[in-house]
Parts: sequence; C-alpha cells; structure tokens
Amino acid sequence: MTDALLLSRRLERHRAWQRRAQQPDEDDRAPDPRRATALAVRIADAVDGEVVATDQGTYVRRDGAAVAVPIDRDALAGLPDQPAAGTPLLFLDTETTGLGTATGTYAFLIGLARWEDDRLIPIQLLLPDQSEERAFLAAVADLVPADGWLVTYNGRGFDWPLLVTRFRMGHGPPPVHAGHLDLLPIVRRLFRHRMTDARLATVETELLSVHRGGDVGGWEIPGRYLSFLRDGSPHHLVDVVRHNAIDVTSLARLLGHIAARLGDRDRWTDAEAGDLAGLSRLFRRHHRDDDALACLEAALVASGRPSRRPATSHASEAWWSPRARPDYGGRPGPPRSAWPPGAAFDAGWSEARLLVERARLLRRVDRIDDALAAWEAVAAVGGPMGAAALIEVAKLREHARHDYRGALEAALRGRATLDRCRSTGRPAAHLERDIGHRIGRLRRRLAAVRGAA
Amino acid sequence: MRTYAPAPTVAVLERLLAEPSLARGVVHHQVIPARDGTFASFPDWLDDRIAEGLRGRGIERLYGHQAEAIEAVHAGDDVVIVTPTASGKTLCYALPVLQELAEDPSARALFLFPTKALGQDQVAEFAMLSKAAGLTISSNTYDGDTPAPIRSAIRKAGQVVVTNPDMLHSAILPHHTKWFQLFEQLRVIVIDELHTYRGVFGSHVANVIRRLLRLCEHYGSRPIIVCCSATIGNPGELAAMLTGRPARLVDRNGAPSGERHVLLVDPPIIDQATGARGSALTLAQRWALPFMRAGRQTIVFGRSRVAVEIMLTGLRESLRQDAGPRSRVRGYRGGYLPTERRAIERGLRDGEILGVVSTNALELGVDIGRLDVSILAGYPGSVAATWQQIGRAGRRANVSVAIVVASPAPVDQYVIHHPEFLLDRTPEEARADPDNLHVLLAHLRCATFEMPFDPGTVFGPGPVDELLAFLGEAGQVRQASDGRWYWSSENFPASEVSLRSAAPENVVIIDTTPDRPHVLGEVDLFSAQVLVHTNAIYLHESVQYHVDRLDWDERKAYVTRVDIDHYTYANRAVTLKPLDVFGEAVVAGGRRVHGEVMVASLVTLFKKLKFGTDENVGWGPIHLPELELQTTAYWLTADGLAGGWRRDELDVALLGAGRAIQAVAAVLLMVDPRDLGLVSQVRSPHQDAPTIYLYESMPGGVGLSERLWQRHDELVEGAAGLVASCACEAGCPACTGPRLEPDVNAKALALRLLRGLGATTGVSVPAA
Repeated sequence: MTDALLLSRRLERHRAWQRRAQQPDEDDRAPDPRRATALAVRIADAVDGEVVATDQGTYVRRDGAAVAVPIDRDALAGLPDQPAAGTPLLFLDTETTGLGTATGTYAFLIGLARWEDDRLIPIQLLLPDQSEERAFLAAVADLVPADGWLVTYNGRGFDWPLLVTRFRMGHGPPPVHAGHLDLLPIVRRLFRHRMTDARLATVETELLSVHRGGDVGGWEIPGRYLSFLRDGSPHHLVDVVRHNAIDVTSLARLLGHIAARLGDRDRWTDAEAGDLAGLSRLFRRHHRDDDALACLEAALVASGRPSRRPATSHASEAWWSPRARPDYGGRPGPPRSAWPPGAAFDAGWSEARLLVERARLLRRVDRIDDALAAWEAVAAVGGPMGAAALIEVAKLREHARHDYRGALEAALRGRATLDRCRSTGRPAAHLERDIGHRIGRLRRRLAAVRGAA
Repeated sequence: MRTYAPAPTVAVLERLLAEPSLARGVVHHQVIPARDGTFASFPDWLDDRIAEGLRGRGIERLYGHQAEAIEAVHAGDDVVIVTPTASGKTLCYALPVLQELAEDPSARALFLFPTKALGQDQVAEFAMLSKAAGLTISSNTYDGDTPAPIRSAIRKAGQVVVTNPDMLHSAILPHHTKWFQLFEQLRVIVIDELHTYRGVFGSHVANVIRRLLRLCEHYGSRPIIVCCSATIGNPGELAAMLTGRPARLVDRNGAPSGERHVLLVDPPIIDQATGARGSALTLAQRWALPFMRAGRQTIVFGRSRVAVEIMLTGLRESLRQDAGPRSRVRGYRGGYLPTERRAIERGLRDGEILGVVSTNALELGVDIGRLDVSILAGYPGSVAATWQQIGRAGRRANVSVAIVVASPAPVDQYVIHHPEFLLDRTPEEARADPDNLHVLLAHLRCATFEMPFDPGTVFGPGPVDELLAFLGEAGQVRQASDGRWYWSSENFPASEVSLRSAAPENVVIIDTTPDRPHVLGEVDLFSAQVLVHTNAIYLHESVQYHVDRLDWDERKAYVTRVDIDHYTYANRAVTLKPLDVFGEAVVAGGRRVHGEVMVASLVTLFKKLKFGTDENVGWGPIHLPELELQTTAYWLTADGLAGGWRRDELDVALLGAGRAIQAVAAVLLMVDPRDLGLVSQVRSPHQDAPTIYLYESMPGGVGLSERLWQRHDELVEGAAGLVASCACEAGCPACTGPRLEPDVNAKALALRLLRGLGATTGVSVPAA
C-alpha cells in the first residue's frame, strides 16, 4: 500500500472525486514558473520602487518622499518609558500573510522610517516571491541601527515576534536593537477614555485629524498578497503599499503628538483632562508620584474647561463607588475584597473623578492631611459619591490618625448623606451596609477604649 | 458461606471453585507458574549521583529488560520496550535521559504521552528520580493546562518537556522557531503507551512524528527514539510505522512474578431457545465479593462508566448487608477529580483501599502497585488490553487470580470459547496507516506551513511533489521561483486537523450542560450520521450525553449530560461500489479481494436499546442527507456457490456469516466492531457473485482491510468456529446476529456457506 504508484492512482481518484464534489468552474492550469526578478520588476513598476538584486535574492525597495513631522525629543524623553533624546528611532510596520506569529505566516511588506531632523524618511521593502526572503530580511537587518529603538504599534505582540520567527527560519540572527517602544499600550493608557477602540485608524481620526480615503481593510491584506502570488498582477499590492506608508507616517505623527501635548509641562494646561489623568497613572506606575500629582492638578484645571468630546461612561459600576478599584496600571493583583477588579475602566474623567483620583494618590504618598482635605472636598459634592468620600475620611482618621471619634463623626455624616439619598430616591445599599458596619465597629472600639481608660 | 476473616487468595479461590453454581460457569482454568526475575547491576557508565539516588530509593539493581534497554539507548539505538503492567518501565527511559542531562545540562528530551493525566504522573516520577540523584533538572508538562507565563520559560529552558501528540501537533511544531533550544539539543524522544497509537489516531501521530523528525533534521539534531508498549503482537512493526525507523526490540521481561490463576467464565444460559445469557456484571460481583471479604485487594474492570457504577453500587450494598469493609471499595473512572484519583491510587498502593471498580482508565500506566485479584466484567476488546487488566493482579511472592467474565456479545463469546486465543496466542497487532491519503495530505499541509519543501523531498511514502501539486490546485501551497513549495494561505492548518479523526470536515460536539458550554469533542461527518443525530445518546469517555440538536449545516451537535439506561443505534442503509482492486487471490469457494470502495450511506432511523440486554425500547426518525465515503475494504466473493441455494436462504447466510466474520475481524485486529462496516450482496452488481464486504468506517482506511485480506483463512475458520460453538439453536445476537425471521435457521445456513468457503471447524456440527 505504501508503493508510490498505488498512491498516485489513489490520488488521481481522490482528485476526480473531490472535483465532482465541489464542481469547480475553473480549469486547473499548471501555474507557469515565474522568475522572482520578473515579479520584482512588476511590483517596482507598479509602486514606483526599485529592484535590488543581491547574491541572496531579489527584493523591491521603495524610497518614499520625506515628510515633515516635527517632534520635540527632549520633551518626549521626559515622559515615562520613552527613549533618550539622542537615540535613533526606527518606525516599523509589517504587512503579513496572516495573523499569528507561527512559522507559516510571511511578512511581505515592511515599512520603515527614520527621522532626520524634523523630516521623516520612509523606506518600504517588498518581498516579490517567498523564495527571496533571505535577501529581503538581510535588507531589513541592514536598516535596523544597533543603538536605536524600534517604534511600532502592537509590535511587541506581533510585528517583532513575527520577524524573529522569519529570521529563525534559517535566515540568520534577528537584528540587534537597543529598545522597543510599542505605542499601542501607551495609547490605551492615555487616550482610551475618548476612543471607541485602539486601532491605528481610530487614533488617526481622533487624535491626528487624519482621514484616510479608500483605504484597504486590514483583513483584506493577506488575501491581496496571496492573489499577487497566484496571478502575478501587482495592482493587488498598490493600495497595500499606500496603506502601509500611511501607517508608518501616522506612527511618527502619533509620537510627535504625544511629545507635544504631554511631554511639555507648559502645555499641560491645554491638554485634555482625561489624557493627563492617564499620564498621571503612567507616572504613578514608574513611582514618579510627584509628577503624577502635578499631572492631576493640571487635569483638574483642564477639567474646568469644556471638553472637546464629552466623556461617556460605559462602566456598570460608577467610578466613584468603592467597588470600582482605581487602575494604576500594571498587572492586577488579587482583589483585596470581593469587589470586581477593573470596574473603573472606560469610565469618563469628570472633575469629581479627578478629585477622587487625586485624593487616593495623596493617601498613597502619605500626605494624609492633604488627602483628608481632598476627600472632604469630594464629600462637599454630596450624593452617594459624597458618602463614599466620607467613608474614606473615616478610614483615614481611624487607621492613619487613630482618631476614632473623628472617624465616627465622618461615618455618621456619611450615613446622614445616604439617608438623604434614600429619601430622594437614590438609595445606595452597599454603601449603607458598609457604613453601617463601620459605625458599629467604631462605636465598639470607642467603648473598649473608654472601658480601658 | 459468609466469612469475614482474612484468608489467603488460594484458599478463597478453592472455596469458590467448590461452589457448584459458580464452578459450572468456568470454561477454562489455567495456572501460570511463578517466574524468577533476571537482574543486572547498574552499568559502569551510570553517573554515581544517579546510582546513589536509586539506592536511596531502595533500588539496588535493575531487571534484565531495564538493563538491556538502558544499554541500547546509551549505545544510541532506537528501542521499543514491551513491558507488562508494573514492570518498571519508567526507569528504562528515565535513566538514559538523566545520564544525558548529568553529562550535558544543555541536552533536551521530549516525552509523549497519549493523555494529559499520564504525562503529569510521569513528570512527578521523573522529578522524584532526578531529585534523588541530586540533579537540578527542569522537567515540565506542556499541555493545555500550562499557564502562559510558564510556557515561555519551558520553551527556553525546559530540559525535559512532557506533552501529548495533540499539543505537539498544534502548539509546538507550528511554532518551532520559538522552541529552537529544544529542537537543536533534542537527544531523546520517549513515546510511551505506544500501543494506543493505532487506527486513525496512530496514523495521525505517525505523521506528527514525521514532522517532528523533519524539524529536528533542520535544526541539526538526531534524537534517539524510545518507545514503550504494552504487550501487542507487533511492537517492533508499530514502532517502525510510527517513527519511520527500525527499533531494537526489548521484550524479555526481567521482573519476577508469583503464580497466577486465570479463569475464563461464562454467565449461565437463561433461555435455551434464544441463547440469552445472564449478566456479566452480576457474575463479576459474585466472584469479587468473597475475595474482598477475605481482605484480598481486588480490582474489577467494567467496560463503561455505567457498568462501573452498577457494580460499585452492588458491591457496596452486599458488603453493607453483612457489615463488610464497604467504605474501602472505591470507583475509578473518567470524570473523577484528579485529586480524588490520586487519593485512590495512593490508597491502593498502601493497602488502605481494598477494592476498586474501574473503567480502562486504570489499564494505562497509572501506578497503583500490585493487587491480589483482577476481575474483568466483559472482554475489554483486545488480548493486549486483557493482559494489561489481568496484569493488575500479580504479587511477586504470592498467588494471584484473574477472572475474565464474558458478556453475551459475539466477540466475548468467541474469545471465551477459544482460551488458546487469549492465553497461548500472541496478542493482536496494532494497525495504523500513516499513508492514508486524507491523513497524509492533512499533515503535508501542516508540514509545509512549518517549513517549505524542497522538490523531491521524501515525506512518508515517497516524494512530496505530486501531493503538493494537488494541494496547490486548491491554492494552499505554491511552488515559488526557486522550485520549493511554500505555504500560501491565511489559514493555520494545524487547527483544522484533529488527530483523533481522519476526515477533513468534522461535526463539533458542544456540551451545553455547564453554565458555559464547551466543546466536548468532534466526529467525522460519516460517523456523525449515526453517533450524534438529533436524539442520539452519545457516549464520551463513558459519559452519556443526549443530543438535543444536530445542526448539520453548521456542523454542530448540541448535547446535554444524561444518565439513562439505554443507548441508541442508528440504522445505516449502505450501498457500496468497488473502485479499485489492490490485491486479489483465489480461495476455496471464491475469491478474496482488498481495494478501494465508495460507500454511500443514508441514515433514516434509530433504535433505543437497553444497556446489557440490548432490548429494543423505542425508535425515532433521522433526517440527514446521504453521504459518500471513499475508503478501503476487504471482500470475499462466493463464486463457487452459484447453484444449490435459494435466494432468500443465501441472503440470510451471507448476512449471518458476514456478522460472524465481522466479530472475528474485530477480535483479530483489535478494533471496535463499529470500525468495520458490513455489506452483503446476494447478486452483487459489481462482482457477479454473492459477496460479503467489510469496509473501514474511517475515510481512506487505516490499513485494516489489507490485514483482513491477508488473514482471510483465519476469518472464515474463526467465523465458522464462533457460529458452531454458540450455544443457541438457530442463530442469535452472539453469533449470526439478531434473528429477523423466526422460521429460518440462520446458524445452519451461515455454517453451510462458511464450509463452502473452506471452513473445517463447523463440519462435525450437524445442522439443527
């Protein structure tokens, strides 16, 4: 049965059967063997690139026109996680034959760009045939500066691991570089409060006021290249090349935008309150508490102005509720209570929320008096949020000041606030329960202290 | 006759054999004498730390087979080790791997187990050995349960990676660049429970190994392959089929064993006319109870979860009535929590647990020590499995007892009345066909995804070009300018290929019982027609599920868990057309042929049958489209029987003989009878003679039909023997199948036909 002749007979029948079952309407022509160079020439003609032939193979290089994209590198370097002012930056975005970073997915277009002063110099590399990968990757490696940083969008999760896979598939070691700045997590942290999703196209419209017309959809791209491989027609790729060029430019603009809006403290007053709140958390994550506080103060000033886009809240749990855990970023630890973690995500940044955030931060840096004052300021707003703030005042007085009487006073005020809420039809049962327990415990504690005395 | 006092195993056995109601059912009683072990000292080259570690765990020397295996691996040979239950097979591969790692910590080893649970057991045992030797070795399971952060650590630094074929197929091979440390330094591959890699699963796994070895070659490693198998007829051949390389066979068991009694027992006939027999489950309990009362550690094997629960309930009930050690009898099967299972295993090892009722979950390499008595309620489906279950009883110094209780099924009846089949013959051969076209093409896609193919590369049976050209027509692969074949699709082929079935298209089975529905498994379309049609009872790891809805267009079956006393059997109306002949020979009374066939199957109704008795308790309609199956088949034509038969008689004879042949074929080839479909044609439009076809129910076949073709004489002889020795008068479900027409003597007709085909067994039996 393992004899090759028999197998081919079975294959022939299998084929006939398969054909009958699917009734394909096209006749199966044997594909003519196309020379890689011929394919490269077609691409080069279609996208205005040049064919580069090396002893390792052939690829297409397209040097785009320089674009003016200003950036203040010193301002950028002042932000957490950012490269030092003198570090060369290389923007990188790949187009691939599929999702995932497994071994059968090919990168066929790599868009790169580097800065020369305020001008962005784009270079795109194209793979004319799968057989030419070695030359193609060698060209990529040549363009990555060993002392430079890559700048990508989701490149840590996708573009770079995929390229590493491609290099390891027998094309030499992946190029060395000094760092990797992935803008996706930063965008999520800073701007998610005013965006519906974090796709690069959304970033462009929301932040950079760029609108792409007639762009190719991301889902279409793998199919475009596979079609090109099948029929050799380069028109499949023209839109993809354009799409990639815009992506790379947008990456640079995005970085410039971040540096300009948030890197320069003098301009914080013009920034969106929510962006500043996100930045505050980013600072906080890097233990730069003073910067974080400064950021929040600026945000509070900014929130006095009308926001360009009113924040909308999608969270099921109101952000000010004690159930809503503050998000300082990083990996979520085990919840310290039964409250659902991460409930505050996606809530808008109102002034009151900023106040709460600030009060929490003050507590965190042990500025107890300031924290108490901040919570009292929130309490003045009244409503369930005010009650929640009074619970915080009670906690601080009890645990940080050991002022049980004062804690009880705050808790009683909180209960009064909640009673008013209930009578006006805004009952907050879990707060009532919390405050009830607290008052009970504080009374027992006071009694014990009195008994001991 | 109730004795609660502890008594030796022999004494209890003698007492039971003196009881006429029990003794009457004993068809065969054989005593296997005690055997001394053969021993060898640790090899000179063994690292002192490892030897010290072994001594520290009470191991002063090795069994003969262990020493032989270890020497062979050390010398760089591929080895297949055949070991009965509990004979210390772990050391056979653990010691060479430990030695390799003691010499060079950058070395890597890959252990493959068919299931996650076995892998986890072995990792624990291996870790214990390395700890005893004072070596710091990172050995980890890498399976679906491994958390993501640990995964990347294992990829980089795991020295011993323990996984299963499914994981290798879908998570490791397609991501091989992330595993380059493993592939570059891979020294040893261990394939344990080799005998489970048969049929479709084996055919797939063989191709996964082909892909694995192809990548090893790419990374410049040439690992030694160590296979461990339970006793089967062709371990060397199976290992060679699976790995594509010849292996040195180590099969002289050096472990000592005590005297062992093996009894084959048949339940009494209840109804002489129909030949109906009593339940195997009841009889198994009657034999088990006295041993438990006497304090002998006893294991009872049931064939399904339901059987296990029935016997467990019965045994506990009986023990409670007479204040016996009820709580020391436990159940063990799939569905119990891992911690619960571990506790039971520990209890068996230290003697705290007296009896256990288990499915074949305890047949595989789980360490429970050695027990006194093993009772099999029903033939487990293969000689190999029978010996594995029998092997659970076997004290080194004491007498042990194994009892096989037959059920009324034809396969059981055949086995029980042919003791030589179980006791004297070599066990069945495990078959797999790695070159099954469907399977091969599926893995060729995965292999191309993993690495492009050079033209003329040999993968499996031959050069890949023609097959790749075929895949190229569908656009999944393409030949680039350099002539190499590249993957050219957006899809991830490994996720489209399940190792447990052959067809490319599957029906996914979704369990809606829990709050969050999850995928229970999948079946190929052809099997789906009969297994998961709406209102079917689907059995998965011995758990019953009711199919609430089969969405044929979406290829999804929605099931909920149930616990009821019946199962379903769907009637398949099958037409068959031969396509090609691979082999043909003239035999007595006709011809034997094997070749390729097209089977068209239409399923229109199903029956509900009671467990145990197979009594029909209802039926229902099935509305599904007709399906075509291209597969391989074995058939025999009765050219010489043209004259002398009435057409209706010939019809009954063909069907009856066919059923008997099907049962014998299932026994000989160690497969489920359902893996072989039966079609009989009085006047075949294709053969011009009465014909019996046995076709493989897996698309493309896995090589069963070729073996049947080769063993034609045994099939005919065995079928005649099965029918002739059956206690019924005129045919019954145990031999020629259910009697459809009461006035026809199916038994006599089938025998007459089989004699015409050259059988000699049935000659002396007068047609009743």
